[in-house]
Amino acid sequence: MSADTKMLTISNLFAGYGKVQVLHGISIEVPKGKVVTLIGSNGAGKTTTMRAVSGMIAPTAGEISLNGKRIEGMESYHIAKLGLAHSPEGRRVFATMTVSDNLILGAFPRLTGARPKGDVNADLERALELFPRLKERREQLAGTLSGGEQQMLAMARAVMLNPEVVLLDEPSMGLAPILVAEVFRIIERLKSEGVTMLLVEQFAAAALGVADYGYVLENGRISVHGPADKLRNDPAVKAAYLGGSSSH
Amino acid sequence: MKRNHLLLYVVGVAALLLFPLGITNPYYIHLLETIMIYAIVLFGLDIVVGYTGQVSLGHAGLFGVGAYTAGVLVTKLGAPLLVALIAAVGVTSVFGALLALPALRVTGPYLAMVTLAFGTIVQILINEMDFLTSGPMGIKLSKPPLLGHQLDEREFFWLVAVLMVLALIVVHRVLRSHLGRAFEALRGSPVASDCMGVSVYRYKVYAFVISAGFAGLAGSLYAYSEQYISPNTYNFELTVLFLLAVIMGGRKSRIGAMLGAAIIVLLPKLLDDVVLFRYVSVALALLVLATALIGIRRGRTTVQQMAIPVVGSIALAGLSFWLQTMTDWRLSIFGVIMLFVVYYLQDGIVGFVRSALNLQRPKATEASTVVAASAHGDAVTTAAAGDHGAEILNASDVLMQFGGLKALNNVSLSIRRGTIHGLIGPNGSGKSTMMNVLTGIYVPTAGALTFGGRSLVGRTSSDIALSGIARTFQNVQLFGEMTALQNVQVGLHHSFASNLFDVALHTPRYGRESRAAVERAMGLLRFVGLADLAFEEARNLPYGKQRLLEIARALALDPQLLLLDEPAAGLTAPDIKELISFIRKIRDHGITVILIEHHMDVVMSMCDTVSVLDFGQKIAEGVPAQVQADEKVIEAYLGGTAA
Repeated sequence: MSADTKMLTISNLFAGYGKVQVLHGISIEVPKGKVVTLIGSNGAGKTTTMRAVSGMIAPTAGEISLNGKRIEGMESYHIAKLGLAHSPEGRRVFATMTVSDNLILGAFPRLTGARPKGDVNADLERALELFPRLKERREQLAGTLSGGEQQMLAMARAVMLNPEVVLLDEPSMGLAPILVAEVFRIIERLKSEGVTMLLVEQFAAAALGVADYGYVLENGRISVHGPADKLRNDPAVKAAYLGGSSSH
Repeated sequence: MKRNHLLLYVVGVAALLLFPLGITNPYYIHLLETIMIYAIVLFGLDIVVGYTGQVSLGHAGLFGVGAYTAGVLVTKLGAPLLVALIAAVGVTSVFGALLALPALRVTGPYLAMVTLAFGTIVQILINEMDFLTSGPMGIKLSKPPLLGHQLDEREFFWLVAVLMVLALIVVHRVLRSHLGRAFEALRGSPVASDCMGVSVYRYKVYAFVISAGFAGLAGSLYAYSEQYISPNTYNFELTVLFLLAVIMGGRKSRIGAMLGAAIIVLLPKLLDDVVLFRYVSVALALLVLATALIGIRRGRTTVQQMAIPVVGSIALAGLSFWLQTMTDWRLSIFGVIMLFVVYYLQDGIVGFVRSALNLQRPKATEASTVVAASAHGDAVTTAAAGDHGAEILNASDVLMQFGGLKALNNVSLSIRRGTIHGLIGPNGSGKSTMMNVLTGIYVPTAGALTFGGRSLVGRTSSDIALSGIARTFQNVQLFGEMTALQNVQVGLHHSFASNLFDVALHTPRYGRESRAAVERAMGLLRFVGLADLAFEEARNLPYGKQRLLEIARALALDPQLLLLDEPAAGLTAPDIKELISFIRKIRDHGITVILIEHHMDVVMSMCDTVSVLDFGQKIAEGVPAQVQADEKVIEAYLGGTAA
C-alpha cells in the first residue's frame, strides 16, 4: 500500500487517561479513498485511538498526520477544520436541536469559511437521502429520536463536513439487525464515493467485509495487520474476534 | 489507617491545642478561631457542593440563622452554652430542609438564584424582626460559661478547636459511609440513584439538612467568638466567599475545606500589611515554581501550560516590592488572586497538589484491607423461592403517550418467574420506554402493572427498586467519579440499617454492615470479571466494561427481576460468549431476566420467551424459533438476510 497516498498516518502513538496508559506505541496508515478497520476486544484501545486522532485526548507520545500535516495534540475543532470528522461512540448528538440543524452544524467549518463551502443545502439533502429515516424526522428534536436513529444522525453529521477522513466509532452499536445491514450498506456507498474511513466495529466480520485493510489491537498494541480478506481468513483472528456473530 | 497518617493527625491536633499557649496575642488566637469556625461551615457546604453537586448560595443565611438562634436564646432566655449550640444546630437544620425544597425542582443556575434569594430573605428577616433580633442594632453577647466555669478567650478557643475536630471526624465518617456514597451518586446520575433504591428526593434533603447543621453549629460559635452579631455580616459577599473557599481549597476534601477557610480569612488581612504581603508573595512564587518544575519533570504538564502561572506569581511578588502601601490595591489584588486560582486550579489547591505530585486519592481504608482477605463466596443472592414458572410481572394494556406519540400502545406482557424473557423490536419501537415504565421513571398514561401481586403504577423508582426490580441502562448511567467498587456499594445501599449516629460513632452495627458490603461488592465484581479494576474510576473503564459494571451494580440490589437493556452493545464476539454464560448463571440463581438485545444470537440462544414490539405495539410473541420465523418480525426487524 506504499503506492497509495496516505491520508491519515499514525505512528508510534502512546495515549491514555490520567495515570492509565492505554495505547503503547501503535502505528496505522489509512490510504486515501480506502476503508481501514480497527478490531479488538473491549479495552484494547480502539476508542482511545479514535479520540487521540480527533484531538479529544492529547497523546502522550507519537505522531499523527492528516494529509501530510501533523495534528497530534491539536484541539478537536482545529482538526475538524483540517477535514477530519469523528462520529463518536455512544450517540453524541445535540439533543435539543432538530435533525436538520444537527446536520447543518456538522458543516459548521464550511459555513465559517474554514473549509471550502460547496453547496451545504445540497449536501444536507444528500445526507437525508442516505438515511431515509432521518428524512422522515428532519424537523424532530434529536433528543426525541430512538437510539438507533441518533446513531445514524451522528454518522450523517460527520459526513456533512465533506471530510478528508471519517472516523466511525461503533456505528452499528445498539441497532436492530435490519438497520445494521443498512449501516453497512451506507458505509459501502460512502466508500464507493471515495470517502476515506477509519472504522471501529463490534461486528468484526462485517467490518472486515467492507474494509480494505485491517489492524487487530490487543492491549494497546497492534498484534496483526494485513489486507481485510486475509485477516478474515486468518485462523487466529477468526477464533478470537469473528466467532459467534451469526446475525450476519 | 496508616501509622504515619495517625501521627500526622496527632501532631496537627496537638499543634492546634498548644497554639494559644505559644502565641498569646489575642488577635492571632481570634484569627485562628475564625478559620476553624469557617472550616466547620465549609465541611458542611462541601457535602452539598462537592458531593451532591448542587450549588448553594444560601449558606451565609444558614450561618446567620445559627448565630441568631444562639444570640436570641442567650439574650432573651439566658440559655446555657450547650443548649444554645444544640438549638442552633436543630433550628438551622430545619432551615436547611427548607432550602432543600427548591433543589428538588431546579438545578444549576436556577438553584443558585433560588438559594441566593433564600440567603437574602434570611438577612432581611433578621433585620426586620426587631422584637427578637434587635434589628440593625445587633446583639451583644459575652463569652459563655461551660458547666459553671466562665470560659476566657483561650478556653473558648479550645472549645472551638475540639468542636472542629469532632465536626471533621463526623463529616469524614459520613462521607466515607453509605450516606456519602448516596450523596455522590446523586451527582453522578440521579436516574441511576433512584433505580438503585437511593431516593434522590430523600438524600438531597438529607445532604442539605446535614450541611445546614454544620452551618448552624459554626454560626452559634461565631456569635460567641465575635461577641457581637448584626444582620449585615451574613450577606452576599460572605456566601460567595464560602463557595470560593470550597472551590479554591478543593472540593471533596476536608483538607481543602480547612485550606479554603484559612485563605478567605487570612488573605484579606495579609493584603493589609505590605511587608507581610511581600513575604507571602515570594513564598507563593517559589511554591508555584517548585510545583511546576516537579510537574514538568514527571511529565504531567508542559512548559507552555505552566508558563503563565509561574510568570504571574513572580510578577505578583515583583509588584509587592514595587508597592509602597497596600490600601488602594487591596481589593484588586484579592480579586486577581481569586480569579487566578479558580481559573488555573479547577480541582482546587488540594487537587492541584495531588496531581502535580502524582498522589493517589486516598482509598477507603476498610475497603483495601477487606479486599485482600475476602473469601471467594457466591456474591449473587439467590432470589426468594417462588413457584418456578408462576407469573412474577404482569403488564396489561399499558399505554404510554408523549404528546401525540403513543410510545407504548396497549402492550401486555406476562413474565414468568425464573425465565429469561427477550424483548426485541426496531429502534424506537418502545422497548426502552417499557423499561422506564416498569422502573417508575415514567408513569403510564393508562394500563395496569403488577409485580409479585403488587401494583407498580404511581410508585417511585427507588421504591420499585427496593421491592426487587433492578436494571441496567441502554446509555450507561454509572457514577463516573466513583470507583467500580463504590458503584456496586451504592447498589448495596439497601443492606444498611445504620443511621447518622451509627455512622458518626462507628458503632459495631455500622462496622459489620460496611465490611459485609465491601465483601459483597468485591464478590459481585469478581462475578462479572472486574475485580482487578475495583479501584478504577468508573468513567475510566472502557465501554464494554462499564456495561458489566452496571450489571454488577444491579445485582447488588438482590433483585427478583433484572432488566438488561442491550447488555451486549459494544461487545465483541468473545465478550458476548462470556456475557451469555453469566446471564445464564444469574438465571440459575432464580433471578428472572428481561433482556432487550439486538444481537440475535444472544436472544435466540438464551430466551425462554421473546416478545416483539413495533411502533409501540406487540406484533409477535412466543419461543425464539417461532418468533424468528414470523413474517411480520422478519419484515419489521430481522430483515431478509438474517435468520
